[in-house]
Amino acid sequence: MSGNTSPIFGNLNWNVTPYTDLLQHVDSSTIVGAGAASVLVFGAIAGVALFTYMRWWGPLYRIWLTSPDAKKIGIMYIALALVMLARGIIEGFVMRAHQATALGTLAQPEAGLVAPDHFSQLFSTHGTIMIFFVAMPLLIGLINFVLPQQLGARDMAFPVLNQVSLGLTAAGAALIMISLLVGQFGTGGWTMYPPYTGIDFSPGEGVDYWLWAILISGMGSTLTGMNFAVTIFKERAPGMHFMRMPLFCWTSLCVAIMLVYAMPALTVSSAMLALDRYAGFHFFTNAAGGNMMNYANIFWMFGHPEVYILILPAFGVFSEISSTFSGKRLYGYTSLVIASMSIAVISFTVWLHHFFTMGQSAGVNIAFGIATMIIGIPTGVKIYDWMATMWRGRVRITTPIVYLTGFFLLFVIGGLSGIILANPSIDYQVHNSTFLVAHFHNVIIPGVLYGMLAGIHYWFPKAFGFRLSETWGRRTAYLFVGGFIFTFMPLYVLGMMGFPRRSPTFQNPEFLPWMYVAAFGGVLMMCALASLMWTFWTSYRNRTALAVPGGDPWNGSTLEWSSPAPVPEWTFPQIPQIQARGDWGEAKRAGDPWKGPERYTDIEMPANTAHGLLIAGAAFALGFAMVWHIWWLAILSFLAIPGMIALRGMRVITPKIIPAAEVEEADRRFRQQVASLASATRADEETERNRGVPDLSEFAG
Amino acid sequence: MSEKSLYPGLNLGGTHGKAHEKAESTVFGFWVFLMSDLIIFGILFASYASYLNPMGMAGGPGPNDLFDITSVAIQTAFLLFGGIAYAGVSLGLKYEHGRAKLIGWLLVCAVLGAGFLFFEVKDFITQAGEGGTPQVSGWLSSYWALVGLHGFHVFSGILWILAMIGQIATRGVDDAVKIRLSMLGVFWHFLDLIWVGIFSFVFLVPLA
Amino acid sequence: MIKPNTGELDPQESAASEIKSYTTGFIASLLLTVGGFAAALSDLPTTWKVVLICVAALLQIITHMRNFLHLSFSGGQSREDLLLVLFSAILLTIMAGGTWYIMSDLSGRMHQTMDSVASAQSQPHSR
Repeated sequence: MSGNTSPIFGNLNWNVTPYTDLLQHVDSSTIVGAGAASVLVFGAIAGVALFTYMRWWGPLYRIWLTSPDAKKIGIMYIALALVMLARGIIEGFVMRAHQATALGTLAQPEAGLVAPDHFSQLFSTHGTIMIFFVAMPLLIGLINFVLPQQLGARDMAFPVLNQVSLGLTAAGAALIMISLLVGQFGTGGWTMYPPYTGIDFSPGEGVDYWLWAILISGMGSTLTGMNFAVTIFKERAPGMHFMRMPLFCWTSLCVAIMLVYAMPALTVSSAMLALDRYAGFHFFTNAAGGNMMNYANIFWMFGHPEVYILILPAFGVFSEISSTFSGKRLYGYTSLVIASMSIAVISFTVWLHHFFTMGQSAGVNIAFGIATMIIGIPTGVKIYDWMATMWRGRVRITTPIVYLTGFFLLFVIGGLSGIILANPSIDYQVHNSTFLVAHFHNVIIPGVLYGMLAGIHYWFPKAFGFRLSETWGRRTAYLFVGGFIFTFMPLYVLGMMGFPRRSPTFQNPEFLPWMYVAAFGGVLMMCALASLMWTFWTSYRNRTALAVPGGDPWNGSTLEWSSPAPVPEWTFPQIPQIQARGDWGEAKRAGDPWKGPERYTDIEMPANTAHGLLIAGAAFALGFAMVWHIWWLAILSFLAIPGMIALRGMRVITPKIIPAAEVEEADRRFRQQVASLASATRADEETERNRGVPDLSEFAG
Repeated sequence: MSEKSLYPGLNLGGTHGKAHEKAESTVFGFWVFLMSDLIIFGILFASYASYLNPMGMAGGPGPNDLFDITSVAIQTAFLLFGGIAYAGVSLGLKYEHGRAKLIGWLLVCAVLGAGFLFFEVKDFITQAGEGGTPQVSGWLSSYWALVGLHGFHVFSGILWILAMIGQIATRGVDDAVKIRLSMLGVFWHFLDLIWVGIFSFVFLVPLA
Repeated sequence: MIKPNTGELDPQESAASEIKSYTTGFIASLLLTVGGFAAALSDLPTTWKVVLICVAALLQIITHMRNFLHLSFSGGQSREDLLLVLFSAILLTIMAGGTWYIMSDLSGRMHQTMDSVASAQSQPHSR
């Protein structure tokens, strides 16, 4: 491999694209591969053309890419996640389509839409993308957008660092995307277990793509966690005690803690694997004292907290929406806080249940099995709390509530199958079967995906000033619920029948009916994705009818509903003084909540900078150069990063000052507008009469 | 903020006003980051322990063949003196001893750190010459990774010191520089802390 | 450290007390380092040596945190930092201790007892 490495282009040459494969051999697999690459290429060309035609490059750079504003950064995270979500769902669909056609015979054991190697790439990228580049950016984006507003802070504690984190995540995502076109992705699944992914058995660039995407974006996530933690500890508005924080802030704090302490484990395991692959170390090799079991150990030390990193923000969202859309105060605030924090800590004590079958003694398995069952308790507490919140409330069946109901029904099933798997002796039976696949999709889709989509629907007006279409929102939600049931319930059955996960082919015709049902579910998921995109588009077209300039479309009780929609750059004209939990709700009870501040002052905001963008570029170049062994570029970009940081350190950065007059003018305009708008009752919530000024007499939260 | 100093010694004390308040969240953030770093080192320590057996050594050289306790002691002394030298920076910053003294103490720290690195690299070269390269066994891989990562941290620390000297020289001791020097102090002392773990558990325990 | 009646810091006095704190920490670290090395080179039984080295390391880590990093239970920020460090220590114990628990169990199941680990550590390599 290193024998013909060019000093300038490394291992790159013209034979690495899927088009070369297509030219050599035309079948359904190479067509799918080249098709995916073409989607990427034409998508990129169309995007560039559109931006050039609409003259969007300048605004994109000035308003978005160089902005250190947490709200904009949050929106960019979510946009990135939605792009990656599209790829992830399409890949999932291709896998379902493949397995529905994968019944081999004794004469011809291999069958199906794509080749086995291609199938392995599909499930590897699907897992990696869905975990690291869909779920993570979705939740980090949502927290970025919501957290400062709920805490009464202007921004994150470290705005520029926030920008760098986004840049690193995007660089990782870009590495995964470019692997469609240049070279291949790894085939070791999203966990990339050695020794299979060691240099001996996976000599190509595939595993390296995974490694560098993970190392770079993992760094970004660690920094994000640090940023969230400091924001929550140090940037709360005066009077915002810990026990006055909205539940979403609490779950964000849990996420921050887990990011800070769990991401290093992933960094270590990936770095060790990289050392094995690049420098001939023997951490996880078969020979010379390597121990691949240590990889599983370290990886899941990250992997299990990661599961709760994903799910807890969704729990925070569900806490907010169950209260708002039931017109009731959240039931059991304190128990929810305690449950979230217990989950955050206990999640660090259960990692071994991901490898019960690795060969350790029964005593070790039992210890971790018991810990796993214990973590089910606080989760159960939460479910009951939300149900009690809705009990006898005036529940409006809005889109977030449809997601919440779907979550109730499905997540409990997923959780129960988790408790079943927590028993080591049962785990031995269904381990590595599609039962497991069904289980983790059953917690992650109803948990994370529904939660995040509900959250996007809930806070969308705050970001863009208009509501999303409820009709299409509900249709999307029903499709995601139905799609989930049809896709993954059959996998439970298949797992019990003994179908191993990640199988490119099978010879037992009894599997086939279930595969068809699952493939139909895949079709529904594709429809759900299309419906989601259509929701955004149709709402954008009807944006004047859906506009909510009053800023409080759902009659909420937390601080973020006090500002206009879309929320101005400075969020609050004056940092609020918090008097109670649900401060905005208390203000509504007290009478006139839309009182302006008496005095306006100049507001200091961090100045725009291209720092994050430049570091992201260097990080991407570093990752790409390392994957293709282009050493000069790797060294150059590796040196560029500290160089840029040092140069920025030498400069005195002056913040951007927004003059008091400008703030006052905008704020007074908003308050006059609120006074002139007719208030909307609960029954009018979904109609054009909802202008973001709710009927205060109906507030009961 | 209360009149109690937020970071006695390391931090700036109430007389520094705005920098003092800002230091609170910035230095706290740096602490959080270092805790994440601590976990990295912790996992490497645990891995080192799990490779420290005949299977992990895979017939290659072991601790008794490779480790030079005298050199370890010299490195320890360099780092310990380097750590205490940073007290000069912290106190000079807090009580405004002037740029020259700050730069002087920073240079002392950098030189002592470089001395540490010199002996560490010398050890690595010797060990590689005796057949102790990381490619030989799992145990040696974990040894090089753990000790090498610490060395890399010290190297970064020296670069950071040089960058700070550059900043003091060009922009003077303003608020941002004060906060950064506080963070550098935490980092520099943190490296000592990790080294205590390394010389005790990586070198002394296997030799005991 | 605080001047009577004015509530202001007396720079002279507090500088002196801080220098004292650094000096104490430095001397303690020096002694503990020497103690650790001496224990390793002594003729005590291996178990004792290991225990002594661990105790010296732990004490020295505490000294560094107290005297150089100025963590303590008193004072707003240093208390918060100390709690952060202690929380990290708990999680580190779970992660590193868990690794040790799992990996030593696994190596025991591969016919490698902890005795052979100990003997590998104590005997000079002879191959």
